[in-house]
Amino acid sequence: MDKRLSSERVNMDYNSLKQHASSNSVDSDSKSNSINSKLGVETMVPNDTSVTFTYLAGEKCQDVKNECTYICPYSGPSRGILTITNYRLHFRSQPATEKDPIVVVDVPLGVVSRVEKVGGASSRGENSYGIDIFCKDMRNLRFAHKQENHSRRTVFEKLHMYAFPLAYNEKLFAFSYTETFAEDGWCVYEPVAELRRMGVNNDTWRITRINESYGICDSYPAVWAVPKSTSDDLLKQACLFRSRNRLPVLSWIHPKSLATITRCSQPLVGVGGKRSPEDEHYINSIMEANAQSHKLSIMDARPSANAVANKAKGGGYESELTYQNVEIIFLDIHNIHVMRESLRKLKEICFPANDDQKWLSAVESTLWLKHIKCVLAGAVRIVDKIEIMSTSVVVHCSDGWDRTAQLTALAMLLLDPYYRTMKGFEVLIEKEWLSFGHKFQQRIGHGDNHHSDADRSPVFLQFLDCVWQVSKQFPHALEFNEHFLITILDHLYSCRFGTFLCNTERERVQEDLKHKTVSLWSFTNASPEQYRNPLYGGRNQCIETVLKPVASMRHIRLWKGLFCRWNPSMRAQDPVYQRTRELLALQEQLQKQVDEFRYENQSSTRQSARLSSPMH
Amino acid sequence: MAEIKTKSKKNFTSYLDSEALNGSEQAILNPKLLSGELEVARARNVLLFSPTSKIKDDNGIAGVLVVTNFKLSFLSFDGSHTSSIYQENIFLGKNDVTLSNIDYIYQMNDRKKRLVAPNIKILSKLDVLHIICKNFRVLKFGFKRSEVGKGKHIAEALAKFAFPNRHNLLFSYNYKENYYNTLRNISMFNKKMDWSHELLRCGATGWRVLSREREDNIPERTLPMHYVIPKTVTEIEYVKLAESFNRSRAAIWVYSLENASLVRMAELIPTITDTKQENKMLELVRKCDPMMRQPCIMELNKCLPSIQEVQASFLKLRELCTPDCTRQFMVQDVRFYTLLDKSCWLFYVSLCLKYSNDAAMKMRGRETVVLQENEGRDMCCVISSLTQILLDPYYRTLNGLQSLIQKDWVSLGHPFSDRLGHVINSDTTEQSPLFLLFLDCVWQLIQQFPEEFEYSETFLTTIWDSTFLPLFDTFQFNSEHDRQYAHKNEHLILRPVWDWGEQFSDKDIVLFTNPLYKKPAEQSRKSMAFLPPTAIPLPGLHQTGSRITMHVTQMATVTNQLPEDRFLEPKTTIRDLELWTQCYFRWQPLLEIKNGGYPQIDLYNRIILSNISKLQQALQSHDFDDLPTPTNESENVINGVGPMPSISSFFPFSGNDTNSNELADILTLSYDLLTDGSIIDGLSLSQIPD
Repeated sequence: MDKRLSSERVNMDYNSLKQHASSNSVDSDSKSNSINSKLGVETMVPNDTSVTFTYLAGEKCQDVKNECTYICPYSGPSRGILTITNYRLHFRSQPATEKDPIVVVDVPLGVVSRVEKVGGASSRGENSYGIDIFCKDMRNLRFAHKQENHSRRTVFEKLHMYAFPLAYNEKLFAFSYTETFAEDGWCVYEPVAELRRMGVNNDTWRITRINESYGICDSYPAVWAVPKSTSDDLLKQACLFRSRNRLPVLSWIHPKSLATITRCSQPLVGVGGKRSPEDEHYINSIMEANAQSHKLSIMDARPSANAVANKAKGGGYESELTYQNVEIIFLDIHNIHVMRESLRKLKEICFPANDDQKWLSAVESTLWLKHIKCVLAGAVRIVDKIEIMSTSVVVHCSDGWDRTAQLTALAMLLLDPYYRTMKGFEVLIEKEWLSFGHKFQQRIGHGDNHHSDADRSPVFLQFLDCVWQVSKQFPHALEFNEHFLITILDHLYSCRFGTFLCNTERERVQEDLKHKTVSLWSFTNASPEQYRNPLYGGRNQCIETVLKPVASMRHIRLWKGLFCRWNPSMRAQDPVYQRTRELLALQEQLQKQVDEFRYENQSSTRQSARLSSPMH
Repeated sequence: MAEIKTKSKKNFTSYLDSEALNGSEQAILNPKLLSGELEVARARNVLLFSPTSKIKDDNGIAGVLVVTNFKLSFLSFDGSHTSSIYQENIFLGKNDVTLSNIDYIYQMNDRKKRLVAPNIKILSKLDVLHIICKNFRVLKFGFKRSEVGKGKHIAEALAKFAFPNRHNLLFSYNYKENYYNTLRNISMFNKKMDWSHELLRCGATGWRVLSREREDNIPERTLPMHYVIPKTVTEIEYVKLAESFNRSRAAIWVYSLENASLVRMAELIPTITDTKQENKMLELVRKCDPMMRQPCIMELNKCLPSIQEVQASFLKLRELCTPDCTRQFMVQDVRFYTLLDKSCWLFYVSLCLKYSNDAAMKMRGRETVVLQENEGRDMCCVISSLTQILLDPYYRTLNGLQSLIQKDWVSLGHPFSDRLGHVINSDTTEQSPLFLLFLDCVWQLIQQFPEEFEYSETFLTTIWDSTFLPLFDTFQFNSEHDRQYAHKNEHLILRPVWDWGEQFSDKDIVLFTNPLYKKPAEQSRKSMAFLPPTAIPLPGLHQTGSRITMHVTQMATVTNQLPEDRFLEPKTTIRDLELWTQCYFRWQPLLEIKNGGYPQIDLYNRIILSNISKLQQALQSHDFDDLPTPTNESENVINGVGPMPSISSFFPFSGNDTNSNELADILTLSYDLLTDGSIIDGLSLSQIPD
């Protein structure tokens, strides 16, 4: 024990940020910081050298306070220096003795959900007067201030100002961040190229730019693929029968059977059971675009009761009577409010800790895993329809931007090995989540202080959790590792990159994010090695293989590497990967030697062959 | 695809209906009988159902069901020519279970479901037998298509033979096949030499071996002929003192680290009210330490579950892993984690790991630890052996684990026969799978320290399965005394389970090793001293002296990057534990992940190891002809590993679907090194000559 601690400390002295990356800071930052300083980007470092973190390009110090106390829920209070910049909150303890470990807290302010003062003028006792910070990434932080220092007020104000810039009509940090990367992540996804990859245009599907200026549907992308047999006029009519004009367009097409996944929002059936001949015709064309099947499955992500209840609000679902040869299946996934509540409960038991003996029951009672199971099970049903029955599937929920995105993206990951590569996964997120208008701004609440906003919900987090579950069941199937998923999540909140800002493609174009901010993929693609899964066997071994995870609770596990990562006593879940990495490196070195020998041998035999040829 | 399915089903049904089925086809299906094995009942046209499928479905596999005095054997028509690769036991077919493995048998018809047991009436109209095995296997047989009364016939045979009420009714006593023990690298701890070696290996100076003269001293029956006691006392004094303890089991040494010893001791017999004798005994233990430090006493009864609690927990866990229909599966699934919590299984695993870790920490702090328990032969075995695995890398090797089980479980008298329920009568109701609890704890350690263990989870699961195989004596007796008695008086042939070549072929034995194992660069003094120079390696488990190994050992001496003390400090809270899915889920087809699960990791690393071994050999011999040429570096080969054969998450306990030839090749090809799987591990990357 002692040994471990002291070695940790030594390491920390060399590079405190890196050492703590796993426990207290957003992992990936340390890496880019070092890149940063290498590139000679100007950074503002305060005079006090004990504050050891490297500023990002565009990051500026706003406040430094000595004698702050961070109250760690695991290891207790430690005193040190608190720094607030326009990007982050940074705390570094100044240990009283050599033996005490150095505690570092490094949080991008985008992660902050709520800031509150605790204790007032009458507070007695040590550490009872300070600030509580509630984070979107499962942490709560408490900093105690000395009343007599009057340090709390400015800290509180600065925190507010930079965590919630929208409340002050200021811009998010992403607009100040100026780091440049070799590759421009904004170019990762090119809609037409992606459709071409899937073979569109083809005999039955065509690309349309009818929504080029977002005039038909303002929450949809500019480029769609639709059945070739449908005219643009029909699209204009048909979309009127779908909530927010989100009519069915192509997400994915099977390379052989041409069975498709299309996505949309609910039909505007209402209590009276309204019909739209255009919509019925359009749905029929989707079915007919697939010659392999004379049926079409509509997967309504909602519980059937919710779908029925939506009729009262003018929505609803397709009737099997009015839509010919259509079967409708409800996938029983609950709405954003249920998911938010579930995550809140999960946070309660994961942070800081819970009664160990009832741990499993406590996890189950949050229903988080049950929701994950439902999403996975839904995706597997879609996969079965496509793969086994060669039947096309239309997926929708109410608006078709939350549960629908979860299902289509997950089903595509299971069906198509391309989305299991790092680049492919980035494309998948760009396409199914960003371009189809998952409302990231609302769901995450970037930079606004309405922490109890009912529009916030961990829908995207849930999707990444499902991907993690897939990676656990198929350890060799994904090119990227858990760290990649966590990095995406960290920057979902951090507001350092433009990727997850705004609600729709239209807004992103208006804001000109491509030019004014940096893409998260520029950052991740600059150092792909750290995100690689060493067990990934390449596309060859799963090119035909559709992944079929078992959606049983017996296989669904809590993602401890994410939800419990702030607990220093949690063990790392995957020590096997390190070993595999070592073996691969060894293999590579040996191969190199063999190749060298071979090369030498070849050249020498060629020589000797020429010399001795008459003898043969 | 769906069409093909229904088609084949139709064919199958029509085939079933044909006369051929009732006639000669089934008559020639005979189980392979061992010497001394007798067929006692047979039924034709029996349907084998998957564990959760509805009985009414016509989706069973048709075949012949045979009961012998050794096993329940199901032979299907199509089963013989499957090409898939799975663990094949030489003594058991794919659909066979030994009678020892059978725990509960339910007889069912449209209206009733009741247990089959010696005193319970068998239904005259019996449609289904539902069998639950001790190793979580579930078998469901339907008799609707077989002759009237055949279900009852089978049930009666099982009631009679599956629940023997005397030990000598076990098949072990009938099996007269000769056996010549050639095992040399596993210490059986039944000879004085074994204990002396162990004392030497541990550098324990304050202790000596006690060898008893008389065999039939009743109170000492649970003890082996040889065990280790304090040097500070005469044999006579020790034996006298020991009489005050349950079963005369006073302080017995099992392990030492520096001068700290691990000691097992029973409690004082209940009629003794003062602790004078115990204090005397502990004083003797204290004097074994040259520093005379006070030993620490861990009263296991107070901190760990009783055997009854472990059994209750086991039954709940098994219920959760053996649903009898899809509906029950779903019902359990909804509350799976709560039900798992309520079983307390992981809680008990967590406690065992915690107290073993405590004991290990104390010993590292130079404190002697005395494990005290009622008779000192249940939880004492669990905690003692786990503590040693935490402290000593030798016990993380294949030979080490087997020797450890011999020492702490077999030799020191864990009542295997009672705990595993080999014999069913009123005296022996103390069934409790403490041994499984131990194996589960070891499995948790492998999860946390995958590089530290030479053996794989498949090895642990196979050991558990082997406890129900009466052909091997290792897990059949309550004590060494009982074993020797049966050997001498009933001519039972002793055949240690550790001779794995008796049960499995090389392709299965290969999977007992862990490809992630990092073998210590220099074998520690402890394990080196352990192997006698004449040791004959167990087939497939070690290849000392082979060229590769020599080569590696030479290189390995250059540097040693591994820490000198390889103590393990496991996380022990429930939130850090996992459920041992291979062992518990493998009989449930609903839970099988096709092309997924841990076997993928295992196989992938085996392939890399195999590549490394080939490259090393080529570099040594300068012969590169057998290596694939670098020109085929296409997109297909990533990381130098080509396409992997498809295996499921239950591999090797269920077959792979395709490419079985390829898989067989990989397993046989990597066999050389698997055995020494870990060869490279002594090497650090920096050691490779440039």
